[in-house]
Amino acid sequence: MKNTIKALSIMLLITSMVIPSTTNAQILKGGYFNVDWQFNAPVSNDFANVASGWGMNFEGGYYIIPQMSLGLYISYHTNNKYIGEQVLHLNSTESLYADQQHSLYQVPFGMAARWRFIEEGMWEPYIGVKLGAMYARMESNTQVYTYYDKTWGFNVQPELGLTIYPMRMTRTGLHIAIYYNYSTNKSKVLTYNIDGYNNIGFHVGLSF
Amino acid sequence: MKKAIPILIMAVTFIACQKEPDLNELSSDLIVYTNYDKNRNFGKYSTYAIPDSILLLDDKAKPTYYSADDPRTVAIVQAINSEMKTRGYIRTESTADADLGIQVSYVKDTNTIVSYATNNPYWWYGYDYYWPGSYWSPYWWGWGPSYAYPISYTYTIGSLIIEIVALEDANAATKKIPVIWTAYMAGILSSNQMNLNRTVAGIYQAFEQSPYILATVQ
Repeated sequence: MKNTIKALSIMLLITSMVIPSTTNAQILKGGYFNVDWQFNAPVSNDFANVASGWGMNFEGGYYIIPQMSLGLYISYHTNNKYIGEQVLHLNSTESLYADQQHSLYQVPFGMAARWRFIEEGMWEPYIGVKLGAMYARMESNTQVYTYYDKTWGFNVQPELGLTIYPMRMTRTGLHIAIYYNYSTNKSKVLTYNIDGYNNIGFHVGLSF
Repeated sequence: MKKAIPILIMAVTFIACQKEPDLNELSSDLIVYTNYDKNRNFGKYSTYAIPDSILLLDDKAKPTYYSADDPRTVAIVQAINSEMKTRGYIRTESTADADLGIQVSYVKDTNTIVSYATNNPYWWYGYDYYWPGSYWSPYWWGWGPSYAYPISYTYTIGSLIIEIVALEDANAATKKIPVIWTAYMAGILSSNQMNLNRTVAGIYQAFEQSPYILATVQ
């Protein structure tokens, strides 16, 4: 939680430096840039399925037609989970006793497409899809050792969002979105396997 | 575009921000790893011998030991004897009368051990003092242990290794003494000293997760 507060504080500090310079215009005319805090819950695996807010999302795009934009995205997220003492049977002869801190670190990035239903309005709802790659680090920490597996996979992320521009004269606004995130990464640590990463979550942040 | 620079800097700042789990939340410092030769029938052995000293693995020119009257040796050997007795094995004073031998080693210096593990899973090669065959029998000069399974762990300072060797099955043709069980426990240091309570708990845990160690086939 402390890290999340720290991240949000830094984000607000930097955006407070940016906002004054962007009150009259967007960063890129006809484009947008989102900086979001992210809340994410892994689903379909029980390795580290505790939802957390330890993540950020960055996305920028340009409207090639009034309704549709193309751009880039990158986000990162960590989900951790404590596992109590237990004996893991690593194979037919090997056993390991330990308690563990599981951690999943995911960094999807790639291209983003967005279709907005209202142009240049105070409320801009949109649907989007992101396609790209994902780096994942799956790790189990004990007091003595860290076991980990680093993998790459394809990533797809449909998203439903809303950008709110409360001030008429500026295109600086608030951004919220919910998403589903799937990646093809296959990871294995000790006796744990993940065949495909599934996540749901939401973003809350600023749009420029 | 200049206006985007602070945001890009922020993005780069956050990219490597994995939230490390809090290891202080781990309730146990102890990890215990065991492995065994699945082709051995532990039920066919009935007696064992255990030295009254613990070999210290370090870079000394000559082997050093925790002696028989050292409280660490006493507690560790007692815990092992207790478990072996529970499982139906009888301790013998003479190694010549024993079916099994139990060798206990404490890692004081990882450089010695890890360097052997790097290039060869049979990490004791080149470490002349690691439980030579002659310890178990004066006729076994030049004999060494043989493993049916690789030792894949990197040993850390302050870890304990317990091995059961099948003296009864020592092979004169190959001059090898089979190692049929390995227990390795780490995280037993407190303030740079062996935590005896945790070490003994680790020994009991090693046996608990090795139910196949039984003097008679159940």
